[in-house]
Amino acid sequence: MTSVAEVEHPGPAATDGEIAAINLESACRGAWARFAQDPRLPGVAEEIVDSERLASQFLGDLDVLDRLDLLASKFARADDSSRAPLVQAEVASAAHRFDDARGYLARAARTGAPREAIERQALAIDQACGVELDAVLAARRGFAKASGRLEDLVPLGALLADLERFAEADTVYRRALFSYDDVSPFPLAWVCFQLGMLWGELAAVPDPALAAIWYRRAIDYLPGYVKARVHLAEIYASQDRMGDAEALLLPALSSRDPEVNWRLADVLIAQGRFEEGERQLDAARSGFDQLLGRHLLAFADHAAEFYAGSGNDRRRALELARTSVANHPTRRAVKQAQAIAVIGGEAAAASGLHEACGAGMPV
Amino acid sequence: MSDHVDGPRSIGDPAADITDLFAFTSPENPARTVLAMDVFPSAGEDAMFSNIIDYAIAVRHMTVAGVGNNAKFQPADDEIRFSFRFETLKHDAAGKAIQRGVCKLPDGRELSLTVNEENGTSTPEGDVRVFAGLRSDPFYLAWDIAILKKLPNLLQHTNVLCIVVECDTRRVLDPAKGSLFGAIAETVPPQKRGLLGPAISRIDWIGRPEQTNMRLNNPAMSEITDLRDLWNQQTPFAISKVLQPLFLQRLKDSIATWDMLDGKADWMPEAIAATANVLLDDFLLFDVAKPINDKSHLEIEKSTLSGRPYQTGGGRTVDANSIDILLTWLVNNDREFLLGGATGATKPGMNVFPYFATPNTELQTVSESVELAATPDDVWSLIGQFGGAWHPLNARVSLTGAGIGQLRTILTLDGQQIVERLEAVDEAKRFLRYSNIAGMAVSHYTSTLEVKPKGSGSVVDWRAQFLAANATDRAMKVRVSTLFKTGLESLKPRFGVAK
Repeated sequence: MTSVAEVEHPGPAATDGEIAAINLESACRGAWARFAQDPRLPGVAEEIVDSERLASQFLGDLDVLDRLDLLASKFARADDSSRAPLVQAEVASAAHRFDDARGYLARAARTGAPREAIERQALAIDQACGVELDAVLAARRGFAKASGRLEDLVPLGALLADLERFAEADTVYRRALFSYDDVSPFPLAWVCFQLGMLWGELAAVPDPALAAIWYRRAIDYLPGYVKARVHLAEIYASQDRMGDAEALLLPALSSRDPEVNWRLADVLIAQGRFEEGERQLDAARSGFDQLLGRHLLAFADHAAEFYAGSGNDRRRALELARTSVANHPTRRAVKQAQAIAVIGGEAAAASGLHEACGAGMPV
Repeated sequence: MSDHVDGPRSIGDPAADITDLFAFTSPENPARTVLAMDVFPSAGEDAMFSNIIDYAIAVRHMTVAGVGNNAKFQPADDEIRFSFRFETLKHDAAGKAIQRGVCKLPDGRELSLTVNEENGTSTPEGDVRVFAGLRSDPFYLAWDIAILKKLPNLLQHTNVLCIVVECDTRRVLDPAKGSLFGAIAETVPPQKRGLLGPAISRIDWIGRPEQTNMRLNNPAMSEITDLRDLWNQQTPFAISKVLQPLFLQRLKDSIATWDMLDGKADWMPEAIAATANVLLDDFLLFDVAKPINDKSHLEIEKSTLSGRPYQTGGGRTVDANSIDILLTWLVNNDREFLLGGATGATKPGMNVFPYFATPNTELQTVSESVELAATPDDVWSLIGQFGGAWHPLNARVSLTGAGIGQLRTILTLDGQQIVERLEAVDEAKRFLRYSNIAGMAVSHYTSTLEVKPKGSGSVVDWRAQFLAANATDRAMKVRVSTLFKTGLESLKPRFGVAK
């Protein structure tokens, strides 16, 4: 577990989060402009995927998946090399369309894509789907040992956390954080967020105070980090610090992430501001509905959580949770579905879920 | 590319990624020398410098310590260093982001500046003037260099963040101690020790263009270890003695590979070894006592290796065709100049401070497509004719000339005349590209039309990029989009719609 000295250590210095966010958008626009000139320009389609995924992960830009779909289809039409199916696979993975992604990877293999690029993506899909985890763990350890780089250590930490090896995950994350020697705040904010999740939500015995420190640090690196704001606001709300939670969420409203509306609604209602709260709940409902209409698999788990709670539609929550389990039967997805079934009084469904997913469950 | 995106580490923060370094005599005043570094490949309009990076240009006096196959340039110990730091953003009353910075001069004086201020800022004494901000990328690469195939400029219409130092040559560089100099630029992160060890010394550095992306990581060589990140961790002017043999061998192998890229051997083994030795000491050589022009880049090295006194000041000007100069040297040892698919960058340099061209405005893009039931060949046989009159809004089309460069004059149904130039055509790939010469309220208009197979039918992609002129962006986008859609819709009754 994280030592006090390490939590107190300020962590590696990084470029200011506001500048980094502006530069990310700037680089992304530049890449799109070059893509428009000629979609086949070396590395440009791949650069767009990387930049857009960063914008989605950190800045809560919900239009990213639409833009990536457009990119993938245009690129596939323009480029007949193995680059196109690799990009299509990555875009499909980003939208949690893992079966599609596997299909594209098979095509990439047939068209001569580099083996390492295919294996890296296949590994990420296996990890996301919770399959072949022993092999995934061995491969992740291999990559992390060979490079020692943050981008290989964080996925290893995430896998260890999924496998409920929390102390080991914590060690790996900290190694990632303190070995980082570049100056981009995105990777650092990512590790801090993962540590927040580890101690706030995944650990057998959560430590909200420790989680809050890591989420705060993620926001210090990147003030626009929407998910870190949402998670920290949840902790503040659970500690009855409604004003602090509201202050965290308000700047994130512009992201249009319905999770922000949802958590803000909870905070407002807890303060007796029912009318404002209801408005935010309506916005959350409408936001989730729109997202599910466009990218069901990508948002099924988050929407399930919403409808099981403040969204107040347990039948829909269970449906979505089942969809999520069917798409990627990870331990977390199954647990979520079981919990929703139990809340809804569907003991048989909960049991069925367990049995149905037993074979695919990570151990 | 020159030093664009040259290693895994530098990809982390694009504002720390150095693209180019320049050294030349000021076009405004021959008594002044200009040093400049560019960072952030393909920077967008709002790009800013990192607030924690030290952006530095360092210059040392040099002596010629050997000629011919013993050619060697020896740096002095003392360094003339210009070091830039930038702040976090401030916002003006309208919310516009403003970034300020400071340049620390070699003698310790500090010069405050504001990013993107066109005139830059000068010391009260007038001996140093600096600029920092967004400019058009002066570098151009118009090759698929691994196979020596000409392409349009891969960096067309891109921008970079640029740092310019213009100084009084006599007062700042002290040429009385010698007029030959070597320059490098580097991006240095904070040097605090972390929990797991010391900080890295630098994120990126550059001397001559293409040390990393073409010489150490030669794209024409397969199955080689990427040495770029290791190179970026070397100390400029003092490459690790332990690692020197590794880099030297790679440089020799790389030059030998370049030599055979055209199938002809133009280099002797001993010349390859001597050149690799010179290139291992990676700094941009310039001599302030001799003329530096667009063609003098690398002349100091080449003449010295040939055993002759050098004639020019070497260096690198804004408009120097550095990639073709280098490629010609490496591939055929200057037997025959290799000119890529472009003769200049998006914009040429300027004769006045800050010498680097104003940034490119972001191009407007229109893209339309249609899926048809007919085969690509059938569709292409109609629309692939540059002089074809298939578009329903065209009353008449006439051609002038033939092949690439031919002009088509279109008389539209509403009486307007549009002139377009064929820039490229590939019948096998069913692709053509043309530009607009006259008749539309646009500049930098380039359009591509392409037919690709899809299922048992085909898909036609038609896209354009342009800057609106004498019209709003929106109005021009609507006009071009309507033009494309009308044309593509007209293909449906002819060829059927894909199911």
